Amino acid sequence: MNLSDIPPKGGSPFTLPMAAFLMLLLLAPFLVARFGLYHYLAIEIAIWIIFAMGFNLLFGYTGLHSFGHGAYLGIGAYAFGLFQHNVSTSLWGGLGAALLAAMVAGGFVALFLSHRRGIYFALLSIAFGQIFWFSSIKLHRVTGGEDGLLGIPRPPLQIGNVAVTLADNRIFYWFVAALAALVVIGLWRVVNSPFGRVLQAIRQNEMRARFVGYDVWRWKWLAFTISATFAGLAGALLAMAQNSAYPDVMSLHQSGLVVMMVLVGGGLVNFWGPILGVLLYFLAREVLGSLTETWLLWYGLMFVVMVMVRPEGLAGLIGTAARREAPAPPARIVETTP
Amino acid sequence: MQSILPHLINGLTLGLLFALIALGFTLIVGVMEVINLAHGSLFALGAYFALTTISGGPLAATEFGQWWLTFPLGTRYVVAAIVGPLLAGLVGAFLEICLRPTYGKASLYGLLLTFGAALVLEESIRLVWGAGEQNLRTPGPITGAVLIGGMIFSTYKVYAAAFAIFAILCVWLFLEKTPYGAIIKAGAHDSEMVRALGYDLGRLRLFVFGFGAALAGLAGVVMAPIWGLRPHIGLDVVIPAFLIIVIGGVGSFWGAVIASLLVGLSVGLTGAFVPAWSMVSMYILLILIVGFRARGLLGRKSALEN
Repeated sequence: MNLSDIPPKGGSPFTLPMAAFLMLLLLAPFLVARFGLYHYLAIEIAIWIIFAMGFNLLFGYTGLHSFGHGAYLGIGAYAFGLFQHNVSTSLWGGLGAALLAAMVAGGFVALFLSHRRGIYFALLSIAFGQIFWFSSIKLHRVTGGEDGLLGIPRPPLQIGNVAVTLADNRIFYWFVAALAALVVIGLWRVVNSPFGRVLQAIRQNEMRARFVGYDVWRWKWLAFTISATFAGLAGALLAMAQNSAYPDVMSLHQSGLVVMMVLVGGGLVNFWGPILGVLLYFLAREVLGSLTETWLLWYGLMFVVMVMVRPEGLAGLIGTAARREAPAPPARIVETTP
Repeated sequence: MQSILPHLINGLTLGLLFALIALGFTLIVGVMEVINLAHGSLFALGAYFALTTISGGPLAATEFGQWWLTFPLGTRYVVAAIVGPLLAGLVGAFLEICLRPTYGKASLYGLLLTFGAALVLEESIRLVWGAGEQNLRTPGPITGAVLIGGMIFSTYKVYAAAFAIFAILCVWLFLEKTPYGAIIKAGAHDSEMVRALGYDLGRLRLFVFGFGAALAGLAGVVMAPIWGLRPHIGLDVVIPAFLIIVIGGVGSFWGAVIASLLVGLSVGLTGAFVPAWSMVSMYILLILIVGFRARGLLGRKSALEN
């Protein structure tokens, strides 16, 4: 069995799931308050949605299984912090620095990775991720070593002459949520564009895509670089949220976590999979975490069972249930325009 | 030259120990084309089981435990070095049964399942043995230091390295000189043909996985006195094993051994001059080698490339 196919669908991004997602972003602060959870959780979820959705462009759509993606999240966070400390306290400048740093790092790594497939790709992505992680620990003078880069300010949001302070988590959430909405809408456009189709073609059969005439290596390089840039954005927001940047997010453990989230949610079969996965992870952390200290054990067990019986994840599960309700559509050959 | 020699020897020792860790890993990759990310956790599990065997564990207060503790440490250590790997092998066999639904699918699923299993095992270890650092005590005759050619070595490391050579040779003999080894190698080469010849492939896989896991556990018992024991040691261990397999070439026995020595040497030598960066050197080695030889030093074509 191959990874299930993501049906190519174009048109307007404003579909029912998109409306549901935007609604959820709007209601999240109230929902979080309603269930007695702290406000910071909503920020964390929105940041991880950006990270996971960007990651899935590479993982689910292009079929390149990177296990070192946390590195670019970390690079974004450090770049943001270093910009605030060494250049100037500016929100847009910091975000730009984070995006640029993650893009350059991702683009450099992708030079080595774009020729690889399958397990060799995964292994090399781990190797590069570990190098960045080690560097962040060892370059004491720049990154603060294992203590992390502390005291990163949250600069005010400056639009024209208007400045909005983001110091309050409640206001900061709206900023992160707006970015998350932009990222998701943007990614929806990307995966449904001709570019996204090529990426999916590479996932389904790299050799065939090459024979059709696509320069596969360049597309893979591009997918990796874009994905790393999204991770950099998420990293910058994480640095703002935590007021600090730690090497911890770059470790293999964290990189594996985002893979787990995307897979559990069903990122392999559905655009919305990563979001479901992120939600499930954080709900599990909060709910199971309040019940038992070893919640990761239960989450890991759930993940193992999921891979065994339902590798298409939560979105696949919902999809199967929906299909069972509705009568099966008559089989037809999907025509794709060249 | 005199100053570099100890580091060279240190590196080679480390390489031999890495080879011991990678042995089970390469066996499982070669036969089943599954990257077993839980290898490190099985390594840790073997060591923890040995720890409990030596101390008597929950039975220490019972009559049996009291009787057991009257044995000298050396005896208990030898028994523990057998019991620990055996139990790790059992856990590995169970893991293989869990892996069965992923056969015939993309290699990603096996990787993911074992990643989840690694998480579960690590958390279980934390639950059972606590999060703190623990020590596996070694009996008197193999602790302390020894003077060889004017240089001081840890006695235990000398024994561990010798044992690693012994284990590598045993596994090699098993694979090359016994009919069982022939079946295992044939299974790695063409599993369908092996099945057609009437061998029970399910049992073969169960055995290989269990055996690989037991080797991981054995490596754990050997390494624990050197590296110490903590729940997350699995992750620290599986990465070098991983790199070694890729450098050596997936499925190649001697490739793995050569790669282990290379990695050990590079870590040992960088450790001498830039100690803080010694662990990074192996990643750089990987990128250098795999950058030029995509399949590693002695690799052959594998289903894992797709």
